[in-house]
Amino acid sequence: MKLKKVLGAGLVIAASAFLLAACGSNSSSSSSSSASNSKTFTRMEGDTIQTMDPSTNTDAISGQALIDTMDGFYRYNGKKLQPAIATSVAEPTNDGKTYTIKLRKDAKWANGDPVTAKDFVYGWRRTVDPKTASQYAYLYNQVENAQDIQSGKKSPDTLGIKALDDHTVEITLSEAVPYFNGLMTNPAFFPQNQKFVEKMGKKYGTSAKYALSNGPFILKGWTGTNNSWTESKNKDYWNAKAVKLNAVKVQVVKDPSTSLNLYQSGKLNDAILSGENAQQMKNDPAFTPRKQSSVFFVEMNQKTIPAFKNEKIRQAISMSINRKELVNKVLGNGSLAADNVTPQGLMDDPTTGKDFAKEAASKDSQYTTYNPKKAKQLFKEGLQEVGAKNVNVTLLGDDTDNAKKMNEYLQSTWQDNLPGLKVTLQNVPFKTRLTRSQNGQFDMVVSAWGADYPDPISFLDLFTTDNSYNNGKWSNSQYDQLVQDSKTTDVLNKEKRWDDLMQAQNIITEQQGVVPLYQRVEAHLVNKKVKNLQYSPANNYNFVTTYIKN
Amino acid sequence: MTKYILKRIVWIFITLWIIATITFFLMKLLPGTPYTNQAKLSADQIRIMNDQYGLNKPLFTQYWIYIVGLLHGDLGTSFQFNNQPVTYLIANRLGPSIQIGAQAMIVGTIFGILLGAIAAVRQNTWVDSVATFFAIVGRSIPNFVFAVILQFFLAFKLHLFPIALWDGFTSSILPTIALAMAPLADTARFMRTEMVDVLSSDYIELARSKGLSNWQTVAKHALRNSLIPVVTIIGPMAVALMTGSMVIENIFSIPGIGEQFVKSILTNDYPTIMGLTIVYSAALLAVYLIVDILYGIIDPRIRLSSTGGKE
Repeated sequence: MKLKKVLGAGLVIAASAFLLAACGSNSSSSSSSSASNSKTFTRMEGDTIQTMDPSTNTDAISGQALIDTMDGFYRYNGKKLQPAIATSVAEPTNDGKTYTIKLRKDAKWANGDPVTAKDFVYGWRRTVDPKTASQYAYLYNQVENAQDIQSGKKSPDTLGIKALDDHTVEITLSEAVPYFNGLMTNPAFFPQNQKFVEKMGKKYGTSAKYALSNGPFILKGWTGTNNSWTESKNKDYWNAKAVKLNAVKVQVVKDPSTSLNLYQSGKLNDAILSGENAQQMKNDPAFTPRKQSSVFFVEMNQKTIPAFKNEKIRQAISMSINRKELVNKVLGNGSLAADNVTPQGLMDDPTTGKDFAKEAASKDSQYTTYNPKKAKQLFKEGLQEVGAKNVNVTLLGDDTDNAKKMNEYLQSTWQDNLPGLKVTLQNVPFKTRLTRSQNGQFDMVVSAWGADYPDPISFLDLFTTDNSYNNGKWSNSQYDQLVQDSKTTDVLNKEKRWDDLMQAQNIITEQQGVVPLYQRVEAHLVNKKVKNLQYSPANNYNFVTTYIKN
Repeated sequence: MTKYILKRIVWIFITLWIIATITFFLMKLLPGTPYTNQAKLSADQIRIMNDQYGLNKPLFTQYWIYIVGLLHGDLGTSFQFNNQPVTYLIANRLGPSIQIGAQAMIVGTIFGILLGAIAAVRQNTWVDSVATFFAIVGRSIPNFVFAVILQFFLAFKLHLFPIALWDGFTSSILPTIALAMAPLADTARFMRTEMVDVLSSDYIELARSKGLSNWQTVAKHALRNSLIPVVTIIGPMAVALMTGSMVIENIFSIPGIGEQFVKSILTNDYPTIMGLTIVYSAALLAVYLIVDILYGIIDPRIRLSSTGGKE
């Protein structure tokens, strides 16, 4: 009898579930109006916010939320650097080492406090303080005393930043940094309200209620672990008049077909596509490729495989890869074939306005253009020069689906086009790959690098002889000198610095010090009604001027 | 009975301690650091960070600190979610996973028992073939395929359910159905096999000869006796369902725990790995205890004794 009751109860539960489901369809259709609400912009992220503490933030998603809710000295609007809390974009003095920045007087924190010079001083010292354990503290390396503070030799008070008065900040660098104004748009350089931070203690930045806004939007609904949040317009923002959106609603979506379904049913104004979906929607008018400042490339370890010291062998490896086929057929996610290790969209020529990577490619693209015949010949000559008959290598790579597909493609294209080269694959988890790369435990490895600031030096610096990130140990003295000149003698001369970097880029491409593969592109579908959606070279949106047209 | 349960609970704690210890030392063998920005940190910076987090201390000291914290109910703070207490992270993420898992469990077992029982009673008829076909389909097609199909037709095309997003009971229905398919199929298979056996036994013949109808015989006598193997599989099934399914959670954008576990391992988020392992293990051990107690209730011939075994 009891059993009968249990079964009966089960049936009732199941039936009521379906009844509720039927009622639910109404509520779901009513909430679909949210995406078409003309003042609410709905978008997605691939993961949730990890922290709202500008000092400890490392990921792009939290970075975007910080940029939406906080103002630093400046803010990128598209490629243009505009003053935010600063009254103008500062011109450095003292050979590029001193920045005196005037602050606007009408900027306020959401708790009513004015944003002052002291907030910047406090925020900067807190980020560099080793106790904060900021993973981005190295961005401060050129600020006076920053490295000594991080290693505990000096107190955070000695950092090269001073409040001259409530609305004037003076920054002292140990060397001139031409991209420093742009670098300061990174949330690690944002001001922080000491009173609030100290009151929150360890909880600071761990959920919306423990974060403090001074920017165009205020974060709401982020509990610290959940998958959706809203950024509501901050009525007390100094530039509130310019902000047209009432809210930006963000939903974490991890599955590619779910994001497409949500976009097509009007629940998202902006969806990120991946893999096949990106390929499939390529001709949709709403398709918007967003170039990311990150490049994937192959490093060849000259310590374990001496044959990689030979320039012809490295060139052959590069020229035997059909990059267009790789990005279109193998990856199929809208990525861009890379001609250089420096990605497109980082920096423009100060005289002609032409993109750095494109200009570099116009001079040396033959080294990254698919040419199996030439590659075969170069490889043969290279082997003769090093006195070897064949080369056996292991290609180390990530164990994600995309990485595996790419590594298999590389293996087959190399073995087909370069007789005498045998490639074994080793796909490992990301952290294992990193550790082995850093310890030099590899023959060839597929690496990736993303720019921390929009300047080619972010990439070119990696491959100087003594740089600890130069895992393959490629070395060229002329290259080293050019990179050095761009940071010292030519640092203040835009044209000369451009030439140094361009020449360095040409050297590493010609010699294939590393073999560039592709530049990451994030494929989006953006509703055509969304206007003025600006995307910065640091790969962030600026929603201040965005609006939705009816 | 009480003595037996108490003894089992003591053993649960000892087992948990052993699991925590093994996991702690195995986890420290993972290459790399827990820092998300590891690719860009120099060896010096990693040393500074390790000092701050106490990761430069001898392994045994780290273990001791962890165990002392654990005894005080402190699972540490997450690396991935900076400064977020692991207990808070798990508490918040476990809810949706448990809800969907429990719903899938209820729907799956109830319909599975029904399907299995019907198939056995109508053995070797078309009804049996159809039920067996459903069981094979449910078992052999992965749940994420069901999820995608359900999402496309019932949500995207027919607008009967939300496509995804975690917003109230309605958003839990499609993931529940997708997750319920495998337990439904398993339960149906076990139920059918056992029921066929039971139906051919002497006491069922006796019941029938006394004039009970076929359905009365099944409901009163056969069903209960067929449930033993089903209860055996329900235990581990419940834990697997309630601790979250990464794939289903991803497809329906559910803020659950399944994905968090995989991610904590990939990012070397030590405190989260430990916390989740302990919670999973505790759930599994608790379910085993419950299953053993259930045996006794369903089949009075099984009596639990304080010597730890079944008589």
